Amino acid sequence: MALTNTGRARILDRIRKAHVAADPTIDGVTVTLDQIYAPIGDPMERFLAECKANLTEVKVTGDLKSSLHAFAELLGPLPVGTLYVQDDPTLRKFADAFAGRHVIWSSTGRAPEDCQAAITLCEGLVAQTGSIVGSSRAGGRGGSIIPPTHIVYATSDQLVPDITTALRKALASDLKNASYFGLITGSSRTADIEKILVQGAHGPVKVAIVLEIK
Amino acid sequence: MSQLSEEFLVAAAQKSADLTHRSTIKRNMDSYDTAVAKGQTRFADWEAARARSAQVKSEGIRNLASLLETFETKIIARGGHVYWAENSEDARQYICDVAQRNNVKTVVKSKSMVTEEIHLSPALEKLGMTVWETDLGELIVQLRKEPPYHIVTPAMHLTREQIRDLFLEKIPDDVHGETHQELVSAARRFLRRAFFSAEMGISGANFLVADAGMVAISTNEGNGRLTTSLPRIHVVVTGIEKVIPRLEDLGVLWPVLATTGTGQPITTYSTLIGGPKTADEIDGPEEFHVVLVDNGRTEVLADEAQQELLRCIRCGACLNKCPVYRQVGGHTYKSIYPGPIGSALMPIFDGVKEYGHLSYACSLCTACNSVCPVKIKLSDHLLENRRKYVAEGDARLSEKIGFAGFRWAAMSAKRFAFFGWAGRKVLRGALAIGLSPHALGPLATWTKYRAVAAVPKDSFRALWRKQNGTH
Repeated sequence: MALTNTGRARILDRIRKAHVAADPTIDGVTVTLDQIYAPIGDPMERFLAECKANLTEVKVTGDLKSSLHAFAELLGPLPVGTLYVQDDPTLRKFADAFAGRHVIWSSTGRAPEDCQAAITLCEGLVAQTGSIVGSSRAGGRGGSIIPPTHIVYATSDQLVPDITTALRKALASDLKNASYFGLITGSSRTADIEKILVQGAHGPVKVAIVLEIK
Repeated sequence: MSQLSEEFLVAAAQKSADLTHRSTIKRNMDSYDTAVAKGQTRFADWEAARARSAQVKSEGIRNLASLLETFETKIIARGGHVYWAENSEDARQYICDVAQRNNVKTVVKSKSMVTEEIHLSPALEKLGMTVWETDLGELIVQLRKEPPYHIVTPAMHLTREQIRDLFLEKIPDDVHGETHQELVSAARRFLRRAFFSAEMGISGANFLVADAGMVAISTNEGNGRLTTSLPRIHVVVTGIEKVIPRLEDLGVLWPVLATTGTGQPITTYSTLIGGPKTADEIDGPEEFHVVLVDNGRTEVLADEAQQELLRCIRCGACLNKCPVYRQVGGHTYKSIYPGPIGSALMPIFDGVKEYGHLSYACSLCTACNSVCPVKIKLSDHLLENRRKYVAEGDARLSEKIGFAGFRWAAMSAKRFAFFGWAGRKVLRGALAIGLSPHALGPLATWTKYRAVAAVPKDSFRALWRKQNGTH
């Protein structure tokens, strides 16, 4: 049994003994984020453009009623099957849109293997890349990856301009204590066969956002 | 010359003459080049992005001990386990112990070059476990019983037709068609059963984030998310050099890795995992282990001339740009890490005697230096390895005698002129009596594929004098 960390001290000792000098050509140069990325003028405009490019469908709504309608539109074409929904008072308000379908609320357990779609909240949206900030608290780890369709309800006040801002915000909030969080940018995809892009490798084939403007 | 060195020369000659292989690789590389060029335009200044990425990784290497300790403390505080493995055997033993203790029958793996490096899958299989690679490219090469061809695109060398035939042979019940989409769906159906039955998921790590105490894993297919979410146990196997200081550093590193890896703005699933499921979470692994692998990395760190190699983020850009890799392909190297980064690292990891010859699989064109997102001067390291190869006495005797003779001749202008004159005489005489250029001693390898130029009567210095009248 090699279950004791006997190598730990030796590895750390070897690291500490090594002399690692700063390289003036690398470490002596000042680089700012403003140099690396062009400024994002209108975050919402950028977000929508990026989502279009990464094949995330966005339905922009103005109030609860139009969000309800957007959910109905997104769920309408889906095959009969179970919906897995994050058990949250916000999403309970949209229960009418799920009428006639078998619904499993996340409070009863993880997303089942055969569910058709998951509906969850998110921790934020990133304009720079058209990403959703997902977490283990938004439908569990499985909700955003097991079903073939993932629908996210988000509000415009969750939008941040760039990845750096999203990560700083995460570290400053309780999100850092979630066992998982991260960016979801479009649907699952692969180009492992002849570099031809195919959507829906292992995760959702379709990712959609109902984005309510606040 | 080592056995591996001879095998390299034979395989390189065969692969570079294989027109089907060349055409497949060219199609892939052309597609990659186009995507990356487009991806770089998303940055206001791509060079500034490279400079920042190099800085972050350099800071990580300069503060390796303290950052790893901070990372470890945070992982343990969340209920995870951290194991420091000195070498491959140590890492394998720890992971096998965890698997056996938990009565694991099936393991799913997300793509990880470190697990290839420590030969993990054979060790688990030897204990009776079934191990499935879940990245599509990795699954394909696993079914073919081959190592990965490329560190980012493991099945780059195969055509759709070859993959269709493979799937029809190995997973026929899941194949419902032969288009790209249908072949991907076949793999999805097949691996879903593995994901939902596996007790253990094994992943690599792209970065270890010290201030957040989280492991960053990037996958496009979502196999990384499933591997780290569904099984009861999640084991991360990673090199110690992956640590970075701050979470916000990923604001540059994630887009840079995606751009140089595939040309994407960011990888689809850019995931951070900090531990097992918490009490208030509905799913996720109950056990979480991080295995920090040294396996020669502290030796690289101790070598001031080569420690910058630890900045590598395994994006594959140097492979894609290398004119040698593009001709001979990934399997020719017979090393875990192929291409320029592999030729630089393998002699350090597994010995100059075994892998020193790879340093010569390079024309020193420096294309790899120009694309490396963390500004590693790879050609310098290949030269350094050549020096070590010679210094350790592994060069061929004929090479040693040849260079010693050249050095002696070149030390004196008179001797240099004399041997130049004699060489021209011998060469002209040999060709005049009809000796084949292929028989010209050390020049045989060169002349086998190239016509011998006419041998001039005068030396370069004589021609110079005639033209310019001075020395």
